[in-house]
Amino acid sequence: MAHLIEKTTEKPTPRSDGKPERGAELPHRAGRVGAVRDWIEERTGLFGFIKHHLDEPMPPGVGWWQTLGNLLLTLLIFQFITGFALAMFYAPTPDHAHESVKHITENVPLGAFIRGLHHWGSSFIMLVVVLHILRVFFWGAYKKPRELTWLVGVAIFQVILAFAFTGYLLIWDQKAYWATVVGTRFASTVPVIGEWLMHFLRGGKEVGALTLTRFYAIHIMLLPVALVLLTAAHLYLVRRLHIAGPVVPQKGAPQPFYPYQLFRDAVVVLVGMGLLMTCALLFKPPLYPVADPSGTAFTPRPEWYFLGLYELLKLMPPKLEVLGTVVIPGLVAIGMILLPWLDRSPSRHPAYRKWVIDVGLIVIFLIGTLTLKGILSEPPEVIPQSTSVSSSTTGSR
Amino acid sequence: MRSNGLEYQEQQPDSPIRRRVLGWLVGLINLGVIAGFIAPVLGFISSPARRRREPGEWIPVLNAHELKPGETRAVTYSLMVKDGYMTAEHRYSVYLYHRSDGTVLAFDPSCPHLGCRVEFKERKQRYVCPCHGGVFDTEGNLVSGPPPTGLTKLPARVDGGKIWIQRV
Repeated sequence: MAHLIEKTTEKPTPRSDGKPERGAELPHRAGRVGAVRDWIEERTGLFGFIKHHLDEPMPPGVGWWQTLGNLLLTLLIFQFITGFALAMFYAPTPDHAHESVKHITENVPLGAFIRGLHHWGSSFIMLVVVLHILRVFFWGAYKKPRELTWLVGVAIFQVILAFAFTGYLLIWDQKAYWATVVGTRFASTVPVIGEWLMHFLRGGKEVGALTLTRFYAIHIMLLPVALVLLTAAHLYLVRRLHIAGPVVPQKGAPQPFYPYQLFRDAVVVLVGMGLLMTCALLFKPPLYPVADPSGTAFTPRPEWYFLGLYELLKLMPPKLEVLGTVVIPGLVAIGMILLPWLDRSPSRHPAYRKWVIDVGLIVIFLIGTLTLKGILSEPPEVIPQSTSVSSSTTGSR
Repeated sequence: MRSNGLEYQEQQPDSPIRRRVLGWLVGLINLGVIAGFIAPVLGFISSPARRRREPGEWIPVLNAHELKPGETRAVTYSLMVKDGYMTAEHRYSVYLYHRSDGTVLAFDPSCPHLGCRVEFKERKQRYVCPCHGGVFDTEGNLVSGPPPTGLTKLPARVDGGKIWIQRV
């Protein structure tokens, strides 16, 4: 009968390209280890699955530029591990957050190093994700059939930005506090729902205890889950559609991913992680004085990757700050999302995608210039002057 | 039929309408469960944003004689504030300006642009926002820069030899 359940011992259908199907039979190994391996393989297809992906053919010409995705993935995994370790010593409350970060940095063995890895890791991630995006952009690798791979990648980029923004506040120092005051104020410039949105983000009228718990929950729960799901989708699509080769097809035979491309990946990871560890060893992560809402003598400046936006806001005319906070960043995001459909050229070669490349170069130049301007501009002189009084009146946020 | 105790029968032909209705019901049930779960979660996490603002109490912040006519001064004061799950002492600051007519103006030091703290430059007699360059005069009026309005004025009065302000 057609619907009888039968023991599945039949051989899998071979792939059209002649390669073995996922989980296809692997040579049986002798010995006890081999028996365990076979037992796992029969039930999960794990080793066949791994072999299938290690044998993935890479088009000729794929090389060092294609190692950035793997480096990014490694950095994200390290960021998760150091974040998990830090969370074991961190207290997300205004009266303990700064103290606990100080304790991590100054008292916990290797604390400054682990915090340094997490702190500098965020900058490395930002740098590598931007390079990865630029590589895909200039190679036109977002074109059919890889539109969804690009879209998921854009979503990952947004999640990484959200990680950077929410992680910022957690150390609860002056810089973190004021950067969050300004950052959440962005939301208030959204027409109609702006004020509500800002209060929703802050968990109240001001940046306070509920802002900290909110950002902490988003940083360690919501964003990691989103990142894992999106990364899984991204990798699935990359493997399903295969890596895009050079814009001009190269002569030669495809090489398997292992060991050729994986070796390049390993070298780049070694260099990248070596640099990160060196940074973490040499440069202690900064920790400013504890957040003080009454301080008038602190000039908030965001991390370098948000300085472009910071400088842009200085250029906006009065009453039009929404252009700098929502409209222009929104247009860049929408442009990235729609890129595979805006670029109608059938060719991936930059010479045949002139307007897209030109617009891209202008945007990169503007963001780069504003970021550089932000880096080079010195914070203005501050004159602390205040008189303190105390009142025991009880108010509410 | 198999003899291992598991018996399988030919699938009965199904009516398309029955399938469709059942399909819709599955969708409705799942939507209902999701909505029933998500709605209270959203209500819970958005509750702080729905809290109504109440006018603050009057707070004495400085002895009146300490602020000379024409002088602008930043004053820091502390309040016990209910902050989410905790009640804690929060420090705030306010700029006080003693006008020539004897009245006192109080300004929230938050820049109306994006909330950075403005600084008062004694020599220039101007408030300057260090973030994006907003400039305000001693009366809190916008002089230049991207802020949409002047500084936010807080209600202030002199009573019993003290300067009082009301947080809004």
